[in-house]
Amino acid sequence: MKLTKGQIEELYVFTRKHYVEHYDLQTELVDHLSNGIEEQWQYNPKLAFDDALQVEFKKFGVFGFMDVVEKRQKAMSNRYRKILYGFVKEWFQLPKLLTTIAIFILFFLVLHLKQASYVLMGLILILGAVNFYHQFKRRKKEKAQKLKKGKVFMLESMINDTGNGVSIMLFGNIFNVLQIMRFNFSELNNYWLALIAIAATLPCLTFYITAYVMPSKAQELLEETYPEYNLI
Amino acid sequence: MGNSKLYKGSLNTIILKLLEEKGKMYGYEITQKVKELTKGELKITEGALYPALHKLEAEGLLDVEVAKVDNRLRKYYKLTEAGEKETVNRLAELEEFIRSMQNLVNPKWSIE
Repeated sequence: MKLTKGQIEELYVFTRKHYVEHYDLQTELVDHLSNGIEEQWQYNPKLAFDDALQVEFKKFGVFGFMDVVEKRQKAMSNRYRKILYGFVKEWFQLPKLLTTIAIFILFFLVLHLKQASYVLMGLILILGAVNFYHQFKRRKKEKAQKLKKGKVFMLESMINDTGNGVSIMLFGNIFNVLQIMRFNFSELNNYWLALIAIAATLPCLTFYITAYVMPSKAQELLEETYPEYNLI
Repeated sequence: MGNSKLYKGSLNTIILKLLEEKGKMYGYEITQKVKELTKGELKITEGALYPALHKLEAEGLLDVEVAKVDNRLRKYYKLTEAGEKETVNRLAELEEFIRSMQNLVNPKWSIE
């Protein structure tokens, strides 16, 4: 006896109820539960669907799917980091290396100014506002897509959320630090300024990649990661 | 089983070895196969199997394929090229471990 389409749908609802948010993991667990239930039916065809499901679910232990979800997130974060690292590497190879050097030189020159803190704070405010506008527009688009599709993949969430997280961390924290310290960078010697300029360039690249490059390539990255992406 | 801790460390190697033999397998199939091979002695719990599979996948040792089977999508795992090499290494390591354990548990005393 095989599960019906309706019962498969019920299993998806069941996984969502048990805190499995993402479609990729839901799908794998639904297939697992289905196989288990169908096997039980081979020996006991009269067994009710719900009872068979409970038997299969118990096999996951007292924490249910939580452990699987947590570990999956960890594995996917690793994957995300690897992808991010690949993009960052591009910025240290020609031709993008020239842009990286230009950003570095810009920071280095700005840091020599007496009002460096204010210039940097102004820069952060402008970039923050532009970014806020873009994120807002994208969120709206994503929401519409989500409603249409109803299925969110784990890597998709990570691509969308990390960009926001990085920008909040970057714009919020650095702005606060600059404001509290009102530090006069121009008193430092060139080695320190170069070091600070490098330390400023790296988060800039990370921000640009996580908030703009990766979301714009999301489709491609998801197709690479999930063979089922085009099947649904 | 009380000795499940002994098996736990070898779960990844067991998965790799199974995939080397079978080509491609899905999660449920792996649990069943292990049960069958060990006559129920070693039961891979679902809570341990999937995290192991996902970790191996993230490490680039496994690749995935998805097919539509009976109204649902099924995710198959198979070894990547790196996975094939790693399987050979890990099996060699495991065999070495078994030999060492045998010597420890059952040492061959000799009088010289």
